[in-house]
Amino acid sequence: MRGGWLQRLQDELAQAWVVIVKDMKVHYLQPGMIMFGFLMPFFMFFSFSVRREMGAVQGVARLLALTTFFTASAAGPFIIPLERRVGTYDRLLAAPMSLLTLLLGKTAVGALFAIGVSAFSLIVGVVAFGATLAQPWLLVAGVILGSFSFSALGLIFGSIPTRNPGDVQMPSTLLRWGLLFISGVFIPLAEMAPAARTVAYLSPLTYAQDLMNHAVLGMGLLSPWLDLLVLLASGILFMVPPIWMHRRGRRLGY
Amino acid sequence: MNHAIEVNSLTKVYGPPDSGVLAVDHINFEVRQGEVFGFLGPNGAGKTTTQRMLTTLLEPTEGRIVIYGHDLARDAYPVKRQMGLVPEESNVYTELTAWDNLMFTAQLYRVPRAERAERARQLLETFGLWEKRNVKAEDFSKGMRRRLSIAMAIIHRPTLLFLDEPTPGLDVQSARAIRDLIRQLNAEGTTIFLTTHQIEEANQLCDRVAIINHGRIAAIDTPERLKAAFRRVQSVEVALEPDGQTHGEPLAALPGVMTTVKMGDKWRLYTEDPSALLPQVMDYARVNSLKVISLSTLGPSLEDVFLELTGQQVGTVRHGMQEEKPRRRGMKGQMGGGR
Repeated sequence: MRGGWLQRLQDELAQAWVVIVKDMKVHYLQPGMIMFGFLMPFFMFFSFSVRREMGAVQGVARLLALTTFFTASAAGPFIIPLERRVGTYDRLLAAPMSLLTLLLGKTAVGALFAIGVSAFSLIVGVVAFGATLAQPWLLVAGVILGSFSFSALGLIFGSIPTRNPGDVQMPSTLLRWGLLFISGVFIPLAEMAPAARTVAYLSPLTYAQDLMNHAVLGMGLLSPWLDLLVLLASGILFMVPPIWMHRRGRRLGY
Repeated sequence: MNHAIEVNSLTKVYGPPDSGVLAVDHINFEVRQGEVFGFLGPNGAGKTTTQRMLTTLLEPTEGRIVIYGHDLARDAYPVKRQMGLVPEESNVYTELTAWDNLMFTAQLYRVPRAERAERARQLLETFGLWEKRNVKAEDFSKGMRRRLSIAMAIIHRPTLLFLDEPTPGLDVQSARAIRDLIRQLNAEGTTIFLTTHQIEEANQLCDRVAIINHGRIAAIDTPERLKAAFRRVQSVEVALEPDGQTHGEPLAALPGVMTTVKMGDKWRLYTEDPSALLPQVMDYARVNSLKVISLSTLGPSLEDVFLELTGQQVGTVRHGMQEEKPRRRGMKGQMGGGR
């Protein structure tokens, strides 16, 4: 019996990896997605940083948080509705693997893409802006946990029972841009009014930004351990709505 | 165990159970191991909904599905391992090559590493896609995608294969190749659940067929027994020269003719007594100085049975209306387990 469970676990992990590799080939390693992933954070960074009094190193911390957030949550909302529309999602749902395995695979591929693009942003930060890392391990942990958390956040929208990617575009864009402005990315947490800061604490991006500040600048407003814990917890918590919505979609016929 | 699939009181309501749309209405049937089971019905009858419930893609509102002894609601995993699914749309990954599509599916179904490449090679050769193995599926024709889709569904050698409308839209050669493959898979022991609205395909392939209409099973039986139950929809088919629409009215007026249908250059006259009608047709030709190019009697086709059971009239042109026949008269003995 124990062997059966171990074999099942091994199978599920292997299947999650198969989903990751397939999604990476089919959706992420496409010219449009690569261009978006690499350029979008820089566009946003320069849009909100030019002509502002901000040190280069501080800018790198912001760039890393932006990159992790935007690339991890970019494709997740659209891939599943798109796969539903062309019928390939049925292939995954009918396969002998659990729904959790499928969703973990979908989350992990978005996270891996974000980790890759974040590494590129770091290289740009080090080479172009001369940034140094105060606590490299915090950067690694923050990028990994943040990527998983934000990818799972994107998956919530991808799990809305619909076959039309356009249906999820508006809510996902609204939420992502909303989080961007309330999370201490453009207005540092310390400069926020108390009410705004309270709202900021509800956003996982706040903790990712704070963690990047610790990692790059060597200082942040919150404890880095709290930042890591919140990113881990939010990543787990964000997996719950997709499971619930998939079960609802199975009842509704999506 | 004799049954691959057992379905009891299966029901699907889209929307709220009390006010939603009833797509499948308490159907019951069994599929025997090793048979080709046809699931026929007009568009919107509930075919695809039923198949999606059988393949775990849709949750039933009521009822029970047991496949190979496993209750699908509680123990779907072992069933999924033995199941292959070819949906109506060829759901291949167009961004991947044919080879990568097959490798992905083989890995997903945990086909042993040592066997994956050999099975993929065999399938690509069988389906005539070996030369195109490194071409992305986006460059494939509809028929090639269909063949690849089927290859992906059987690379893990399922014992139960669901096919949803496998041949519509394909050229004759591709459709024939797929039918041959279905026969071959069945001969090797695979149970086939074939959802189709192509009556002749079901007639050629299926050991038994279920006809579903408005979410209910209208009949389940072998194609020949279903036809035998509809002896009253026999017909005489005649080709006359010169041909023309003008023959419709007088042919329909011949004694015993229930319906006339123009089928290409032929007229099909539905009757309960073809032997009595034959001389009438010859007389009509002689009196009007027409040449009889061909004349034959036909038993009821599965299409006729299907049309009768789904409440559609046989043929599209009806002349000289006879008294409307009650539907499914005398069929009780032939009905299957459906309600």
